[in-house]
Amino acid sequence: MDWGRGWRGCAMVGALALGVGACGGEGGSRSALTSADGRQVLRVAYDREIDVLNALTSQNLVDIQFSMVEGLVTTNQNNTYIPVLAKEIPTQENGLIVVRDDGTVTMTWPLQEGVRWHDGEAFTSEDVCFTWRFVTSEGSQVYNRHEYMSIVGCDDSDEHSVVFTWNGMRGYYAGIFEAILPEHVMGDMTTEEVINYTPYNRGDALVGTGPFRFAEWRSGEYIRVVRNNDYWRGPQYPAIDEIVWSFLPDQNTRLNALKAKQHHFGQIEATQFDQVSDLEGFDVNLVSENTFMHFDLSLNNERARTLFSTRDVRQALFHAIDRQAIADLLMQGTVRIANSPLNPTSPYHNPDVPGVAYDPQLSAEMLDRAGWSLASDGVRAKAGVRFAFTMLNRAGTADRIAIAQVIQAQLKEVGVEVTFETLENAAWTQRWRSRQWEALVSAWFLPADPAITGLYLCDGPNNMTGFCDPELDELMERSDGYLDLAQRKEWLDRAQVALAETARMLPIYYNVSPEVVSDMITGYQGSGTNFGSFWNLWEWTLGG
Amino acid sequence: MTVYIGRRLLQMIPLLFGISVILFGVIQAAPGGPEGALLETGRFIDPDVIEAYRERLGVDQPIHIQYVRWLGGALQGDLGVSFSTTRPVAEMISERLPATLELMGASFLLAAIMAFGLGTLSAVKQYSWFDHVGTGFSFVGIAMPVFWFALILQLVFGVWLQWLPVAGTETVGATSLGDHLLHLVMPATVLSLRYVAGWSRYLRSSLLIALRTDYVRTARAKGLRESAVVGIHAARNALIPVVSVMALNLAGLFSGAVITETIFAWPGVGRMFVQAMFARDYPLLMGILMLGSVMVVFFNLIADLVYGVLDPRIRYE
Repeated sequence: MDWGRGWRGCAMVGALALGVGACGGEGGSRSALTSADGRQVLRVAYDREIDVLNALTSQNLVDIQFSMVEGLVTTNQNNTYIPVLAKEIPTQENGLIVVRDDGTVTMTWPLQEGVRWHDGEAFTSEDVCFTWRFVTSEGSQVYNRHEYMSIVGCDDSDEHSVVFTWNGMRGYYAGIFEAILPEHVMGDMTTEEVINYTPYNRGDALVGTGPFRFAEWRSGEYIRVVRNNDYWRGPQYPAIDEIVWSFLPDQNTRLNALKAKQHHFGQIEATQFDQVSDLEGFDVNLVSENTFMHFDLSLNNERARTLFSTRDVRQALFHAIDRQAIADLLMQGTVRIANSPLNPTSPYHNPDVPGVAYDPQLSAEMLDRAGWSLASDGVRAKAGVRFAFTMLNRAGTADRIAIAQVIQAQLKEVGVEVTFETLENAAWTQRWRSRQWEALVSAWFLPADPAITGLYLCDGPNNMTGFCDPELDELMERSDGYLDLAQRKEWLDRAQVALAETARMLPIYYNVSPEVVSDMITGYQGSGTNFGSFWNLWEWTLGG
Repeated sequence: MTVYIGRRLLQMIPLLFGISVILFGVIQAAPGGPEGALLETGRFIDPDVIEAYRERLGVDQPIHIQYVRWLGGALQGDLGVSFSTTRPVAEMISERLPATLELMGASFLLAAIMAFGLGTLSAVKQYSWFDHVGTGFSFVGIAMPVFWFALILQLVFGVWLQWLPVAGTETVGATSLGDHLLHLVMPATVLSLRYVAGWSRYLRSSLLIALRTDYVRTARAKGLRESAVVGIHAARNALIPVVSVMALNLAGLFSGAVITETIFAWPGVGRMFVQAMFARDYPLLMGILMLGSVMVVFFNLIADLVYGVLDPRIRYE
């Protein structure tokens, strides 16, 4: 123990107790960024405490887990799937995908050889098939289980390749199996037992194939992982000896910890960008997230249908909203205006989707033409119905509430009254799911796969708006049926245009995640997908 | 005394039962459910997965069945399993409780030392500049929002001066007693502030009354030193209401730690409560709230007992 610093702590307690606030001793910076013993210890200010370490059953984003656990694929900084435990991603061109006459698809994934789990067991195709069986089992709770359900068979007869049989072509095939479970550890367990297997969930029995091994999870404080000396990419990887993810959920605390230089890496809010943009020894990277902020209208109740059923009226409302002002003033110029759900970093993004110009004059004229006339109270009305609706806000989301306030003020300028109802997260989610809302500002976090079917299909599992457009449905479903990027993109391009033309929602901007990165780090390449920026931790290094 | 304590302990049983019913009802009455955590990340979630999740957690059952199930377990010492971590609630609480107790203890000690000093000096030197400054400090301390004070301390001592770590309990890899105490300074100071302010006002008022009593005048007439008069004769009686308030506030320190622990990333029960609340982790919420309830009831008993110790006129039957 370092008792030498003990007196200083005691002195501080005493000094503060007396209101003096002064302290003897070293003073000055106590930067923890350099390890005294020369080891490379990466310190991350992380924005939450995760629930479990099982990457498939966790209900959080799982970037910490991916330092220890690998899948067949991951996503890189270009929003593109790249192979990890797979040698290559199957395509029709490389002959690893064969479409049979009966419409089923045979897909072969060649696996990396010489890969070992952290306990020394060999990684084989049995692990992949076991993972598939677990995910598709009843009650597995894997959030995208439905995507795996189209796989009807898994052949593990060759330990270095796995062959899936799909019941049809599914464009998203390359985006699943982001984590593989160890068959030799969990193979005899029931689904319920896997979900509740505490030694794995808490790390003690966690074996992965990743560049780091689990070391310690101090509840409420941090997770620590250490170098995997037998990592399959070679003895030179990873370069970092240890990573400590400190859980700092409060955004102001996280910002202060970074400004105090107690961490090498951390995410902050876009609105905090200015406070760290000139922080010495750090760069702030604006990572374009696969998330887009949008203003949704609904047709869920009688009033909403009365107000929003007409396309021109919806379009008129959108013309009244100054998205550029939101991007420049609220978000301090850190974000990019969106016209489509698909991020410009995605190869499927269609840059030709028409945008909605800010034109309050046009907005007012369109509303006039639609019969919504200004009444004496400054609010438009038609056949005795006032143009007034309620926006459902999620408490604690400062950015979304600020956007809602801007929308409220700008719609008031054209004679539309907006009131707010603010609910805490769980309550908000319940209201959203039960479709008891008229308008809201929200954001979707999309995987690298571009399928938007679940969001906008008439009966899509996440379409809570009440909007239905069979023509759009056909475009999206046709896109999902292709495995080839070019063919898929052709239909998705058309779907993005069709979506914009329906004016069912207003895309506002593509989110950015400002990541504060010490200049001691090399190898960092920020990624905005749900895999996060730690996708290539194996090649990060930490200089002195 | 023993009979009295036994009776009070027996009275706790129906009281805690009633509290548990109310708490369970209130928690369940809050809109939303644990499935909200699945959707918080903004990912697409298969609706079947959401239904399976609710079913596995048992929240698809009627509330009375859920309560009976919870109560049956609780009576056998099983507070259930956390929805979000799949770990036993009792284990999670016991893991976090020491950090909260440490923070509470440090804050209590700090608050008591400062409050006694401030209160006594303010009373002895009534209407002096020290008294006015102390009064001003107390009002500021009571009025100042905890989270704001916490962030100001972080900014000054953590970011600008870099004397103290901003958050956590230790510098991983460089852990020492001194390092840990440095981490404790800011959260303990923040948590104690309100109590310093309140207790010092109580003590000042109480001591002012005591200093005007006949027995104090008699002590002075006997030629005792002023320090003995104040410290021995006046203070003991003046402390009676203050100590009662302090004992009651111990439970308040527990609940007050919620904000402090969250801002300073202190790994205590309070911070876990916030996480559980947002995740609608019903078993964990019930466990923490019942612990808080037990502490309130228990410290009420302690306050009553201390009252009797300090004031010989009080007898328990």
